Amino acid sequence: MKKLFFLLSIFLLLLSTVFYAQEKTIQDKNGQNECLNCHKSDENLPDDFKSYDVHITAGLTCADCHGGDPTSDDEDIAMSKKNGFVGVPSRKDIPQFCGRCHSDFKFMKNYRPEVETDQVKQYYTSIHGIQLKKGDKNVAVCTSCHTAHSILPPKDPRSSVYALNVPATCNKCHGDKKLMDKYNLPSDIYKKYVNSVHGIDLLKNKDVTGAPACNDCHGNHGATPPGVSSIVNVCGTCHVNNYNYFKASKMGKDWEGDNDYHGCVTCHNNHDIKKPNDSFVGVGDDALCSDCHDKGDKGYEEAKKIHQELTNLSTLYDSAKVKLIKVKQLGMDDISIGFMLKDAHQAMIKARTTVHTFSSAKVAELTVPGIKIANNAIKKADEEISDYHTRRYGLGAATIAILILIIGLYLKLKGLNKPEA
Amino acid sequence: MSQTRRKFINTILGIGGLGSLGAILYPLVSYLIPPKITEAKVNSVKAGKADKFKDNSYKIIKFGREPVILIKTVNGNFKALSATCTHLQCIVQYRKDLKEIWCACHNGLYDLNGKNISGPPPRPLKQYDVKIVKDEIIITR
Repeated sequence: MKKLFFLLSIFLLLLSTVFYAQEKTIQDKNGQNECLNCHKSDENLPDDFKSYDVHITAGLTCADCHGGDPTSDDEDIAMSKKNGFVGVPSRKDIPQFCGRCHSDFKFMKNYRPEVETDQVKQYYTSIHGIQLKKGDKNVAVCTSCHTAHSILPPKDPRSSVYALNVPATCNKCHGDKKLMDKYNLPSDIYKKYVNSVHGIDLLKNKDVTGAPACNDCHGNHGATPPGVSSIVNVCGTCHVNNYNYFKASKMGKDWEGDNDYHGCVTCHNNHDIKKPNDSFVGVGDDALCSDCHDKGDKGYEEAKKIHQELTNLSTLYDSAKVKLIKVKQLGMDDISIGFMLKDAHQAMIKARTTVHTFSSAKVAELTVPGIKIANNAIKKADEEISDYHTRRYGLGAATIAILILIIGLYLKLKGLNKPEA
Repeated sequence: MSQTRRKFINTILGIGGLGSLGAILYPLVSYLIPPKITEAKVNSVKAGKADKFKDNSYKIIKFGREPVILIKTVNGNFKALSATCTHLQCIVQYRKDLKEIWCACHNGLYDLNGKNISGPPPRPLKQYDVKIVKDEIIITR
């Protein structure tokens, strides 16, 4: 009997714990938040406070992060250490502070089951985290990027970590010359980035799903600069063909592990990547190949040939495009020419990618058929333009014929009406 | 009327009459035998017989000025999407081995709903509707 009573007591105790836990969650979600009421009336809310903060909308109270008793309007009770009040955490404690919940999968799955819970772990592998551990209080912590009281998921356009806002968020620190000078780091990265092909695509064209922001190359919580050996891999995550061609090339293999040549950035730079054009390749004034290759060496000659191949195709393609516009303006059939030009364009784009093999023969494998297609397009366009003129001349001839007929008829009728002499 | 004048007027009438006849007949014949020009602005195109289209295969259809990729999936469903890659406007292909849409220019990948899933393509491919009417595949905007 005693054993039964003991087991029943344990069961009731467990049951009450479950009910209490459930009740607490509900209370937290719908219950009082006296902290907010007082701070609002005292106009003493944090500067970055926004009522749309993800924690507030999820039903969490100030006390869920800062501790204390949110049900009491008495400052001494609400903010007493006895009630667990921790206040504003020190900067070095912020990652752990946020990690209390964000590293707890069981807790997080109540709100965002899909969210990762290794951010704090990743953070401590980043340069920011490593420096923070060393006692450097200048480095970024969670709130530097996410804010403290206007946190939103990264997919929300209002979020400081929404793709379009990431460059500006990073620039808050990385654009601060005084701060960056301390670490011997450049402070003009943002300026370079906004004018780069990626920056223009992201910030001007609003290409949120395609163009990379800072975190796409550097990571976010584990942010570090890509290492010498990993730059190619980072770029290669999007530029797959370029990566494959480069890695398989002699240059790619020779550069592996070389501290003087850092893969893609050696020619394209890192933050101020410009949209490439055919003059990048070759030995002209704008050519990048001639930075390393001198007249007479194999690379110099190969670069010259590659440039020639590309120029041959692109010049012909441009001529064909002009003819296509003319055909369109004349109102003739431009559709088949348009499709031919799509094929020539494809050959041109592929040839430009094949530049990363650094082989003129491989580039020619694409430019030669491309040139043939462009020539056919020009021929077809000339036929259409000629057909247009034939039609014009035909119309002129028909008008003259009808005019002659009218004159003939007029003279005939005039002759018929005239009495015989 | 003098013989010379009559002869002159008849010549003019002959030339004018034949010329006018030609001017009337040429466009008439051209109308009856039109050149093979695809209509520029189209809202639908016929893409052949459905039963002749093999599973897990594709073809590029000219939809007016736009290329459209028509795919018959392994399950026998038809999908039609814009064949112009959203990166640098190359023509995409269907990869039978991957069961995905692939752009050869920069190795971009799209799923069968046109969503860009790998490589540099920034946006999804536009979808077209496919209907089968009396075994005829009809692609519409």
